[in-house]
Amino acid sequence: MITTTSLYDQLISFYNNTAGSGQQWLSDLRSRAFEAFSTQGFPTTKNEEWRFTNIAAFLKEDYSLQPGAATLQDIKKSNGIPSFDAHEIVLKNGMLNEDVNIRGITVTPFRAALKDDRLKSYLSKYISLEKNAFAALNTALFQNGVVIETAKNIIADKPLHLIHVYNAEDPVFVNPRILVIANKGSKTEVVESIYVKGKSPLFINNVTEAYIAENARLDQYYLQTTAPNVRLVNFTQCVQSSDSLYNNYTYTLPGADFVRNTLHLDLNGTNTESHLYGLYLTGANQLVDNHTSVHHLFPNCMSNELYKGVLMDNSRAVFNGKIYVHQDAQKTNAFQQNNNMLLSNKAVIDSKPQLEIFADDVKCSHGSTVGSFNNEALFYLKARGIGEIAARNLLVNAFAFDVTNKIQIPAVREYVEKLITKKMSEAYDYQ
Amino acid sequence: MANKSDDILEEYSSKEYEFGFVTDIEMEIAPKGLSEETIHYISAKKQEPQWLLDWRLKGYHSFLKAEDPHWQNFELPKVDFQGISYYAAPKSRAKYKSIDEVDPELIATFEKLGIPLSEQKVLAGVAVDAVFDSVSVATTFKETLKEHGIIFCSVSEAVQEHPELVQKYLGSVVPHSDNIYASLNSAVFSDGSFVYIPKGVRCPMELSTYFRINTENTGQFERTLIIADEGSYVSYLEGCTAPKRDENQLHAAVVELIALENAEIKYSTVQNWYPGDKEGNGGIYNFVTKRGVCRGANAKISWTQVETGSAITWKYPSVILQGDHSTGEFYSVAVTKGKQIADTGTKMFHIGKNTKSRIISKGISAGEGQNSYRGLVQVGSKAENARNFTQCDSLLIGNRCGAHTFPYIESKNNTATIEHEATTSKIGEDQIFYLNQRGIDTEKAVALIVNGYAKEVLNQLPMEFAVEAQKLLSISLEGSVG
Repeated sequence: MITTTSLYDQLISFYNNTAGSGQQWLSDLRSRAFEAFSTQGFPTTKNEEWRFTNIAAFLKEDYSLQPGAATLQDIKKSNGIPSFDAHEIVLKNGMLNEDVNIRGITVTPFRAALKDDRLKSYLSKYISLEKNAFAALNTALFQNGVVIETAKNIIADKPLHLIHVYNAEDPVFVNPRILVIANKGSKTEVVESIYVKGKSPLFINNVTEAYIAENARLDQYYLQTTAPNVRLVNFTQCVQSSDSLYNNYTYTLPGADFVRNTLHLDLNGTNTESHLYGLYLTGANQLVDNHTSVHHLFPNCMSNELYKGVLMDNSRAVFNGKIYVHQDAQKTNAFQQNNNMLLSNKAVIDSKPQLEIFADDVKCSHGSTVGSFNNEALFYLKARGIGEIAARNLLVNAFAFDVTNKIQIPAVREYVEKLITKKMSEAYDYQ
Repeated sequence: MANKSDDILEEYSSKEYEFGFVTDIEMEIAPKGLSEETIHYISAKKQEPQWLLDWRLKGYHSFLKAEDPHWQNFELPKVDFQGISYYAAPKSRAKYKSIDEVDPELIATFEKLGIPLSEQKVLAGVAVDAVFDSVSVATTFKETLKEHGIIFCSVSEAVQEHPELVQKYLGSVVPHSDNIYASLNSAVFSDGSFVYIPKGVRCPMELSTYFRINTENTGQFERTLIIADEGSYVSYLEGCTAPKRDENQLHAAVVELIALENAEIKYSTVQNWYPGDKEGNGGIYNFVTKRGVCRGANAKISWTQVETGSAITWKYPSVILQGDHSTGEFYSVAVTKGKQIADTGTKMFHIGKNTKSRIISKGISAGEGQNSYRGLVQVGSKAENARNFTQCDSLLIGNRCGAHTFPYIESKNNTATIEHEATTSKIGEDQIFYLNQRGIDTEKAVALIVNGYAKEVLNQLPMEFAVEAQKLLSISLEGSVG
């Protein structure tokens, strides 16, 4: 248990100041969550889920829990995704201040949405607070964020682009919260990206909950390319009902010193389909940790997971994918694959694919590989007059292609592919 | 079909354990409980030198400090360490000069188990060391081995006759503070086998140890130490059985293998401890620490195991690949049925350059059995061009069993190539249908499929053992229809 005094004490006093406001159910939930957090403390490497990820160094800063106001138009313009036609929702320091009007979709600031008792049946309903300290902390403390609800049978005309802008002039610790409700038969695409102004440490402890009703479809894109001063803990809890489809795309590129993505997927109905795609291209001194867990609870569900990693410089990556097939989940098809390329002799990878299966009529597999460039392929390209650097870029792009070509929005795909090429050519030490 | 398979499953899970008899033989048993006195008692009984007693006491103190592990995915039964007797030996234990002097009751026991102790009966030329409860009772073929300079005897004998070798290597691979069960073993180990193969010698026959737990309320804590000197080769087999009892018995062994430059050790296990009855009462807790180290260049260690018995099997035979170009292999078939639990796998530590490892693990779960593969492949920053291939497959028979995989892959070197793949499925209905069509009944078809499935591992076993293992596998899986 890490109890970095200043931060820990601050969190407690912050909680004591904010708790008790709002409805009874909410303050009950918050106190349960806070209890869960204070018994666990921040996770250490003794916790199996954090075995390879030591966060002590990232908690040392003298964080403030009350970020100042953000005025950030200039950032948005220069860093946006080119020619991406989407409904833009801008969260400033994790806060949304007014409704955004989109036909068929209601976008409400979380602070306002909390007044609605209906949220009781969604909020932290499936998150195991006792096992997820950061999610518990967020549940106890979050003040704002966004609730996105797609109405029944609505097919969104354009993707939603959730732009998180942060002002890190001083060290800040933020707890944004996102709730996505995709009602029956609807289709929603949400793209999230992060822009940061300022060079002070910024700790983002984000929690996203997504509920996908019968026959609905939700695509979530996380584009994580930020600055070294960012520490990002991104927790996602997704619940799928029968006949629904969920796609998650998590792309982490050089930038933030520390990224931890935790994705829990509960398949809470029959005939569901889920695809989880991830790419982590890491550089400098980055530590990127992806933890996913898929729970097959009902029969006839399909899940497919593909995570690919390219590690450069001094970076370190962790992959842990779990598939649980519960006893009733017969006829499950569950696949998982993790491939890693180490481009530097200082990079470190810890990969742990994991299957736990309690039903017999299933097809499950996982695979994991670690390697480097295929020297023969490199030689083939060089023999055809392609320079060393260009050949390596080509091979890395080809390696990442399996994941990037799954992106269904052309503008986003182009953006990610360009970023990979750019980050690759910026990196120097990947011989 | 469903009904039929239920019947067969029922029949199969109630399959009797055929080695469940008790031998009525006079035993000398230490009083129950564990304390420094117990250790002094054991050490005095075996007339051990002071350094060994000191080492045992160190083990005891690390045992006291150690905590029960909590990372396993099954419920660890609380073992009452004070309720166990740590020493049990057939009473009439004088030094046997020849096999004729051994208690005929004992010989009969081993005959019943199909272990020929009398040398003239040995057809295949396997040298056997038989360990009954805590004590090694007979070692065959000693003279033949002596001609080659090979030492094959019980550890207690080795302590008396070759103390310099024992002192040098004992605890050098599995230190006394390794884990709680290894510490316990270090403190109270009673006997086990000791093998030393001198430089450049290829052991002319398979060496084999047979372990038998007989007495109630005893634990078996044997310690095996195998040293293959430069350029030598040895193939070693072990087998185990125990009588049926309603209480659980603890088996906490330690096996240490040391392969020096250019040496090769092949270690095979067919484990058939009493698995408990179908309600899950009784059975052996098989908590074993097995580890080998490839000290020199080009050394090779290969583990092969067929795990069919024990209420809980919990072991990870590992290889430390220290020497350049050294090789580690792990082949495993684990069958669980009834309420059995198997949590097994391996650890491969790549330290030297150009080291290679290969892991093939086949799990078969039936009834309410739980089978886990837990493995670690670790590549250090200096292990240039390290290579690993891992395959772990699980076969599920019946809808109440489970199969789990927990592989850990850690690489600190970008020239390393690591591959891991795992699959889980049941026996395909199409496969059974295909065989049915060709006049093979379902039961035989399943046996055929399972045998084919496990072939890759069984092929690694020495001939004599492969036959036993195949028989064991087909008995274990008799009538289990997917």
